[in-house]
Amino acid sequence: MSPLPILLGVTFRDRLVATIRAARPVLESPGVLVVGSEVPNLLEAGAAATLVVSQDLDVGVPVDRHAALKQRLGDLREFEPSADEPSVWTPRSAGLLELNFVGMDPAQDPAEAYVFEDDRLPLLVFGGLSLVSRGAEVEIAGTRLALPRPAGLLLEKLVTDRTGEKGERDLLVALGVLATSAPEDLDELESLYRRLRPELRHAVRSNLTILSLLAPRSGMPDPQPRRAEVTALLRRLETGDPEIV
Amino acid sequence: MNAIQERRLRELRSRVLVRAFDYRQRRLARGVWFRLRRVLAFASEAYALPRDEAERLIAEGHQPEPVGQELEPPRVILYVSRERLAGIASARPLAVRLSAEVLSAEFLALVPFEVEAG
Repeated sequence: MSPLPILLGVTFRDRLVATIRAARPVLESPGVLVVGSEVPNLLEAGAAATLVVSQDLDVGVPVDRHAALKQRLGDLREFEPSADEPSVWTPRSAGLLELNFVGMDPAQDPAEAYVFEDDRLPLLVFGGLSLVSRGAEVEIAGTRLALPRPAGLLLEKLVTDRTGEKGERDLLVALGVLATSAPEDLDELESLYRRLRPELRHAVRSNLTILSLLAPRSGMPDPQPRRAEVTALLRRLETGDPEIV
Repeated sequence: MNAIQERRLRELRSRVLVRAFDYRQRRLARGVWFRLRRVLAFASEAYALPRDEAERLIAEGHQPEPVGQELEPPRVILYVSRERLAGIASARPLAVRLSAEVLSAEFLALVPFEVEAG
């Protein structure tokens, strides 16, 4: 039997907080950011974690900080590298989420990706994360962790090709970031968007139309009540864009 | 690089290539889905209409959205005010999403989101 939704939320937040506590050695490594689906949860007041239910914690590692992070991997006692995917560290107990290490390279093209080779922690470096920069720090479970600036993360979610089940979930994560964004975050988003090349601007607008039409999903932000916000953002980005079809 | 990373990288690069192709073709048939989604995204509500009501709205001056004519079979898609639609008892409300109901509606009325001034 599935747990009641409210119990699911409590259980999930407990797992998220326990994961952050257990991952402290890497989360407090210089330059490291939490990126991905947990960010909307952590941006909520008190890190309430009511927006997205996820099975992993994405840890963004700037490639020029990889060496420092690697030195701390030995302190990560409650996780072990996955045999299949060495950038994923799986928990030794069921009460924790997986850690998914991803590389960040600010010099990278947003549409490209490469592998940062390493014998212990190779990283897939996703170009979309070049749009992400360091934002607020929060303290959770005695761990100080850095979050991305909402504008960059939102743009990263919208500029990346989103297809299939995972793609739709990623767009709903973008909705969660939008839900926790302030007006100045949207100003920054627009500024970043204007700097993208036309193909990527089109990708952003295309993903916004998909997001606007998604059906609700369990454990994810409901897109229906926020359609007007999504459309307002689409209209704002279209305004003055010479590439509008 | 292990096999899984290699596969993920290959898949990602494939998607980027497809997206670049889609972008180049965006003004042609390949772009129809984007244009349809865009028209729907700007709608707060959607209704399926009987043919005679759609024809009446066109006669009143409502312009069909061009993307409807790009589909096969063609659809008539009209933006109509909520007030005008309130007078059409036979208008059948639909959830605004890419559903079979929306895609199969031959005559579709959309209520546009209000645009905030300023």
